[in-house]
Amino acid sequence: MVRMTGLMTAAVALTLALGAPGVADAKDYLLGSQLPLSGNLARVGQGMSEGIAVAVDLANKQYAGKHTFKVTTIDDETSPAKGVAAVEKLIAQGVVALTGGYGSNIIGPASEAAQKAGMVYMTSGGVTPDLTGRGYKTFFRINNTEGYAKAMIGLLGDMQVKKVSVVYLNKEATSNLAKQVQADLTAKGVTVGMHEFDGATSDFKPLLNKVKLQDRPDAIAMVGYENDYVGVLRAAKVLKPDVKAVVGVWSLATAQMAKEFPDLMENVYGTSMLPYPVEFTQPEAIEFSKTYARLFNKEPDYLGQFGYVQTKLLIEAVLRADEAGTLDKGGLADELRKTDAQTLIGRVTFDEKGDNPNFSHRMGQHQQGKVVLVWPPEAANGKMNFPARPW
Amino acid sequence: MLSLTLQALFSGVLAGGYYAMVAVGLALVFGTMRIINLAHGELVLLAAYVAYAAESQYGLNPVMAIPFALVIVGASAALVYALLSRIDQDREINSLILTFGLGIILTNAVLMIWAADIHSTTAPWFQESVVVADTLFAMRSEVVFFVGGLVLMAGVHGWLNHSWQGRAVRALSSNRNAAKLMGVNPRRTEILSFLVAALLATFAGIAIYTGKTIFPSLGHVMTVKAFIITVLAGMGSIPGVLIGAVMIGCIESLTVTYVSASLQELAGMILFLVVLFVMPSGLFGGRKAIAR
Repeated sequence: MVRMTGLMTAAVALTLALGAPGVADAKDYLLGSQLPLSGNLARVGQGMSEGIAVAVDLANKQYAGKHTFKVTTIDDETSPAKGVAAVEKLIAQGVVALTGGYGSNIIGPASEAAQKAGMVYMTSGGVTPDLTGRGYKTFFRINNTEGYAKAMIGLLGDMQVKKVSVVYLNKEATSNLAKQVQADLTAKGVTVGMHEFDGATSDFKPLLNKVKLQDRPDAIAMVGYENDYVGVLRAAKVLKPDVKAVVGVWSLATAQMAKEFPDLMENVYGTSMLPYPVEFTQPEAIEFSKTYARLFNKEPDYLGQFGYVQTKLLIEAVLRADEAGTLDKGGLADELRKTDAQTLIGRVTFDEKGDNPNFSHRMGQHQQGKVVLVWPPEAANGKMNFPARPW
Repeated sequence: MLSLTLQALFSGVLAGGYYAMVAVGLALVFGTMRIINLAHGELVLLAAYVAYAAESQYGLNPVMAIPFALVIVGASAALVYALLSRIDQDREINSLILTFGLGIILTNAVLMIWAADIHSTTAPWFQESVVVADTLFAMRSEVVFFVGGLVLMAGVHGWLNHSWQGRAVRALSSNRNAAKLMGVNPRRTEILSFLVAALLATFAGIAIYTGKTIFPSLGHVMTVKAFIITVLAGMGSIPGVLIGAVMIGCIESLTVTYVSASLQELAGMILFLVVLFVMPSGLFGGRKAIAR
């Protein structure tokens, strides 16, 4: 009996020593995130940060008892220099990869610092072609200018407008997108008027007066950020140019804008992956939405969605690389290039430059306090009001 | 062409009114204490956020929030003064560092309390059109607060020139020691200047909340603009501030109309540098400018 007990004890000890399935492989993975949590881009940085937190939370749930994931976030204060410092500090802290970054002018130098250290940098906050044009092996992003331009051009094409005035912020990402929209529209025979403005512009009436009196467009296309859209729309509401539609891009067709500026947003179009109120049908999307609501007590927006997708793909690649034993040997970038996943923003693969060639956005329209998806037709959950102005 | 020019000038004058409301408070404090309050823009921002809180949480019209904003901004301004008054050495440079730091603290406090989202009034009355002669367009809030701002600035100007306390402010600005010999209490006069600046900041903050969008980093932008206008006008010259602000507003607006909206800030800076090159003390400058 004593011998039997000894054998059993030895068997249990051996099992524990060799490890129950997965226990010996259990690891803690630390991700780094450099984001603007203060300064001009604080709002969008916070949005992406929330999506990253959801991805980490769900990964911890999925791999409970096997692996744990943590994310360390450093505020770059919307400053390129501080972005670089944040990346260097995160690398020094031993993170396995970086997820985050907002603003092409900040992501550029920050991802360069990551490249020098051989650290993977994953983002959805910088869409300018210059970022992937550098050909960095460690740089990846899930969205790009082309995807936004495709959506805007597709919608304006369906509207069959002949003259468009593009009002755009003079930052790198917004200028690139505006110029791509101009080139694509011009190629389709549309007359395009280009109007650049500075981020310090708060009174858009002189600019909109030019649009009204000189361009006389069928549609106004806005490429900027939230406060720019509000300024443009308020000026347009006062001047009342004779247009058929007002179209914008990111940060416009959102629940936040519908709630904050209901009198300005009616009939305005913007890029949007999600309708509002949010309608999710896929199990993963429902789980994402529930977790987001649990963590932040609100409905998810597109920023959270992008932050979630980029981080989820990164975590999966980290695990694959670790299983292959290449995580410490620069294998993460190779694993990410093998990614071919259906995600909340559609199919994601990465080309040799780290760009996602499948990315195409959708267009939503503010309609009576809701955001209705109206383009492409296969994703639409309602009809677009056209012609229709916000005033 | 004429319509574009007239609208540009009209918009420029109205924008100048906003700029002046922010800059006059800065000029007043400088005139009294020879201190550039680099937290002044953040005090304006604080007033705007108080109006936002009053509207979003209690449904108050932003104008009705003025008394609450005035109390909070006045208390904050008094706190800034209390800290400044403890500086014994190198007052000019140390006060710059202190107020710059206080500005950062205020910005981050706003960020923590109200998050980074942009906000503006939801009361549509303020955004209704005001059309003059079918050519000049403005929002109602711009016109209302431009007129209100003019009245307030005229009141401050009158107070400085015709009241005992106003004369005390001017006397302190002119010669601190002589003013003390004449029975002026410097501390009381300085804190009074801060409170009047807080009144102007409150009014400017409400104006901005009703006509523009507010976000945490806006305070710093306003401080820089106000500083440029104050220097352009001639450090401490209150009437000059209004003229300088309108000049900046008009040159920016004309640049948007005839060159590019991207260059409007550059145009303002070129005007600023040209004026300083030709008139190093600013348009209405001079050491005793506040006495005018």
